[in-house]
Amino acid sequence: MIWVIHTLNGISFGMLLFLLAAGLSLIYGLMKILNLTHGSYYLIGAYVGSTIIAKTGSFALALIVAPLVVALLGAVMERYFLRRFHLQELPQTLLTFGFLFIFADLMLWIWGGDPIVLPKPAAFSGSISIGDARYPTYRLALIAVGLIVALILWWFQERTRLGAMLRAGVDDAEIAGALGIDVSLLFTLVFAVGALLAALGGVLGGPIIGAQPGADFEVMLLAFVVVIVGGLGSLRGALIGGLLVGLLDNFGKIFFPELALFTIFVPMAIILSFRPTGLFGRL
Amino acid sequence: MRASWIAAGVLPLMLPITSSFAQQGPIKIGLILPLSGTFAPNGEDTLTGTRIYFDSIGNQVGGRKIELIIEDEQGRPDVGLTKARKLVENDKVQILAGFVSTAVALAVNDYAREKKIPMVLSGDAGANELTMPGPLYNPYIVRTSQNGRTPAAAAAAFAYKNGWRKVATMTSDYAGGFDTIGGFAQAFCKLGGTIVQEQYPPINTNDYGPYVTNVQSGVDGVVTFLPGSAGLKFVKQFDELGMKAKYPLMDIFGQIVYEPFLPQLGDAALGIYSTLHYAPTIKTPENEAFVAEYMKRAKRIPSDNGADGWAGAHAIADAAKAVDGKVEDTEKFLAAFRPDKFASPKGNISFDKYGQLIQSMYVRKVEKTADGYANVVVEKFDNVDQFWPMTEAELESYKYRYSELKGSMTNCAKVLEKK
Amino acid sequence: MARILLFIALAAVVFVALPFVVPSYYVGLTTKILIFALFAMSLDLLIGYTGLASLGHAAFFGISAYTIAVLSVKLRMSEWIAFPAGLTMAIALGAVFALLALRARGSYLLMITLALAQVVWGIAFGWRTMTGGDDGLPGLRRPAFVSDETSFYFLVLGLVAASTVVLVALIRSPFGLALQGIRESESRMQALGFNVWRHQFVAFVIAAAFAGLAGALYVYYNRFVSPDFLHVVRSAEVLIMVIIGGVGTLLGPAIGAAAIILLEDIISSQTQHWLLALGIIYVATTLFAPRGLIGLYRERFMARRKP
Repeated sequence: MIWVIHTLNGISFGMLLFLLAAGLSLIYGLMKILNLTHGSYYLIGAYVGSTIIAKTGSFALALIVAPLVVALLGAVMERYFLRRFHLQELPQTLLTFGFLFIFADLMLWIWGGDPIVLPKPAAFSGSISIGDARYPTYRLALIAVGLIVALILWWFQERTRLGAMLRAGVDDAEIAGALGIDVSLLFTLVFAVGALLAALGGVLGGPIIGAQPGADFEVMLLAFVVVIVGGLGSLRGALIGGLLVGLLDNFGKIFFPELALFTIFVPMAIILSFRPTGLFGRL
Repeated sequence: MRASWIAAGVLPLMLPITSSFAQQGPIKIGLILPLSGTFAPNGEDTLTGTRIYFDSIGNQVGGRKIELIIEDEQGRPDVGLTKARKLVENDKVQILAGFVSTAVALAVNDYAREKKIPMVLSGDAGANELTMPGPLYNPYIVRTSQNGRTPAAAAAAFAYKNGWRKVATMTSDYAGGFDTIGGFAQAFCKLGGTIVQEQYPPINTNDYGPYVTNVQSGVDGVVTFLPGSAGLKFVKQFDELGMKAKYPLMDIFGQIVYEPFLPQLGDAALGIYSTLHYAPTIKTPENEAFVAEYMKRAKRIPSDNGADGWAGAHAIADAAKAVDGKVEDTEKFLAAFRPDKFASPKGNISFDKYGQLIQSMYVRKVEKTADGYANVVVEKFDNVDQFWPMTEAELESYKYRYSELKGSMTNCAKVLEKK
Repeated sequence: MARILLFIALAAVVFVALPFVVPSYYVGLTTKILIFALFAMSLDLLIGYTGLASLGHAAFFGISAYTIAVLSVKLRMSEWIAFPAGLTMAIALGAVFALLALRARGSYLLMITLALAQVVWGIAFGWRTMTGGDDGLPGLRRPAFVSDETSFYFLVLGLVAASTVVLVALIRSPFGLALQGIRESESRMQALGFNVWRHQFVAFVIAAAFAGLAGALYVYYNRFVSPDFLHVVRSAEVLIMVIIGGVGTLLGPAIGAAAIILLEDIISSQTQHWLLALGIIYVATTLFAPRGLIGLYRERFMARRKP
């Protein structure tokens, strides 16, 4: 029974990682931006969510509003800053690193430095019996939400006009532009959606990972690991990468508690040594 | 033997610098604290406590003004050392104070010793060795906070007294964790208790599910040292997974029941025991005045860091007064700390010959009071020095350093092995 | 040419005179700047001249520092053994990284170097009996002949100057030109008969060696080592120094290192919100000097000379 629990732990954490990584992967796929503020979006989402919950008591409201706020922030960053440096990797790195600092300081200013763990929504605050053990329903809900988001993203990418434009843009932005696709709008939209997903991860992950100074950097690293293992620009990669990293991390800590610090980075280094573009990535 | 050698012989030899000039200017104190990053709240609290005391004496002592120069060490030892150099060489401070991170304190330690600058550890930096005889000992150090082992020893004493015989431990996997849980293991084994399971989640663990599920069944209690957000995340899962109903918790250093966490935890925190050298609920005039002033300034309940900063400022002021403001006379100034005694928000405090504070240890329990959830004092140990409840000689006679005990604390024979 | 010689002569005079003119704190700060200038230049050899981006460069810096501290403090060996051992470890680690990472390119290379460096960080953090864990390892002594700040400053100045000369010579050598050819087009160089992998491997190891030298100097400068010497934050920091200064200009990253260290020193003493200020400066630099400080200077300079 304990193995079921450990597996569920790994999967639910993996789903959370998927949410955090999916946006990063989408943005990279279309715009080739390695966005260092992706972890900041997570943290802003979690903090804004915590304020909304504190003021209104509604987790659902936080789940809707916080991601929208962060999506707006992402759109502004893309339109007024990142756009100027399209396909220029190094200026983009410096720019997003600057924003990482700015956001970190503003968050410390606004929300203080004490760690916060978001309260769970009332409907999912209990636990169910699995054999002789208890398991929190919130984590099961997290798995469900992760799957739903994955389905929506898949549907969006494969079945909608916008998704077709996105795929064309990923393959070749210039040709897509020549075909009459409004690439400019597409870029802003995808960037905003990426930020939104990270903030969604912030509210949903808030009850587990929590919010505190430094979490922005940690989450960014985790998200990078997932998209690199899965392959940049691939949604399928982000999902499988997330689950793989979540499970490896969980079972690694059980089987090799002494090596807990290495459960994420060693597998990543090994995978990349053999598959230099991740599991599902293209160059 | 070695200890008295250091105190009697080396201390005067190493402090030859005396100066009878340059006293007209202010007394400059360089505060090195983390003001950004994970430990920013600890730094802020120490700073607020320090300011409250100095403001209460008009920022003046021995006929000289007190000037605070504050530097952010960013949680990085090399930055801390650079800041120490700037404060000493550029700003010409006569005293360094603050220090939340042990690594930063260790990084500055050699430099301060060489420059003969008094270093008042009024922040959280708790490495046992900094104030005990040994290679790290620095005669220029005075510590007004705590060391790692004493709250742990108090936890062992209280747990054993209340019938705990078999416990499981849960400790964040870093140097400060071993200093603390090693102190618990030693004290608990000595009393006759047993640790049946040790677990060490890494410091940046997000998911405590695996560790909680893994706790050995049938223990009398779970003893934890989980600083920062670790305690918060741990106890939420401990509660949700139904373990809190089964096993009482002893939280060394009060990291889980840190006051800003209590409203977030709600009933999940009820009944948790913790040990610390402070509790905001202490009913003394000194503490009540301190808490009121603190709430006014910082809009939050003071932590032990606030009280430690206050005590550090008080001790500096007392010592400066005792030498008529001549803090440049380092030898006399440092010697003036030793006989100092005063009533603080933490209780009555004094110093030992190594410069470590002797103070009270409080066992607290989370209860629902008229003001909401609070850590209520249920037991108090007075005059706890850094070797408590042992003598210095007895503590020195044990073979192992705490950090070497990791993984073998379940074996009391090994824990109690003597040299 | 005359202009360059004049510049070098001027710089030499300034740096040699400095410790006799400025207060001791600034001698120490300049020592730190020189060390990080070397560190940044070593990374520029990879990014700017070979086209290989790395987010794990602090691993070489840190392993050299740790080797020296552990051998000297824990095993009580002389600096004549510890110092070369530190450099050797940096070179060996550079070779290991290159073997594992060089198949990847672009962002993947950034991330695999990051992952490998985090593994090294984990060892430094976790191997407590040797490294002191997160408390770090204090108690290192400087070699007797450079025990005071001024003579240590001159040691660093001499080694950094010599390293700069070596790096410049390397970049202008046929090998260096081949690296720059690889940066522009791997396939073309391959077609011309160059062994691309071998060139990249050697460049990686040389960059690691100079990063190791910088780390060795830094550990003697601080006289302690702690895990953040090789944390990803430090790797990112040196990458930012390179970008701010100007990628592929060698002198630019050195200036970037000086700019960031000075700015951080000044701003963080003035305000608690130094992160905000530094962040704004990074954003502004990107907007107004996307090719770095050197790029900005050159644009202005060229613009004035053109008509």
